[in-house]
Amino acid sequence: MTPSKILTTHSSPVVAESVVNVPQAFAFETFTKQGTWWPMATHHIGEQPAVDVVVEPKSGGRWYEKAADGTECLWGDVLIYDPFARLVLGWHLNAKWEFDPEFVTEVEVTFTAVGPETTRVKIEHRDMEKYGADEEAVNRALRSEQGWPGMLKMYTEQASRK
Amino acid sequence: MLTIDSSVPASKFSALADPRRREIFESLVGGSRSVADIAREMPVTRPAVSQHLKVLMDAGLVRHRVAGTRHLYRIDPAGVGAIRDYLDALWRLALESFKQEAERAYSETKDQQK
Repeated sequence: MTPSKILTTHSSPVVAESVVNVPQAFAFETFTKQGTWWPMATHHIGEQPAVDVVVEPKSGGRWYEKAADGTECLWGDVLIYDPFARLVLGWHLNAKWEFDPEFVTEVEVTFTAVGPETTRVKIEHRDMEKYGADEEAVNRALRSEQGWPGMLKMYTEQASRK
Repeated sequence: MLTIDSSVPASKFSALADPRRREIFESLVGGSRSVADIAREMPVTRPAVSQHLKVLMDAGLVRHRVAGTRHLYRIDPAGVGAIRDYLDALWRLALESFKQEAERAYSETKDQQK
């Protein structure tokens, strides 16, 4: 497969959308308290389990997980903090599933009030083509401990839940 | 309980759910191999290996090429597809978890106000 083929096949953004039965401001605030809902037991990048996920409440803030002993592992940064409508996060985890300051893909979360106690939450993770720009990196990811085996584990965990 | 939306492409999940198939898939991480290479190392017949490889190919996880008389199989380098699928599943999982927590916390807030 040529790189351009990979680009066209895989560059569409990842989109997840849900209607949540809470007011818009409540949805935004809960979303930024990621430690209350992120599936931390299975989804963390540090060696130890994460006990909190912090989104610093300002544009330019940091986005990181925290272990019980206080160790912090950066996931990325807060690009736009616009309460209560929009949050744009910079996801700095590369194809090897490591924090990489040079590598970034964007996660935009929008909160749209559809009623006084109803909010549409949309997550769009874009720049997927960046994962395909470097086939070598993807190949390395397939071999790395943190990358492929971790994904495999998640695939199988999900499969077993079905 | 966290569940994955049924619209998540299921083929990769189910293709890797079978332990033997996963073992075959992992044996390709080091490079291209033939059906005979794989069958030699595992207590599986060649037809069974072929069948597993077919499922992995259908799921887009493995590619096939012919070198002379040998049919070689390797992991699909478009692993980017796998990364995208992974992120897709991850955000669905996270969003569902967020929805449950937000609605739980909100009803708790309302109960306190009563």
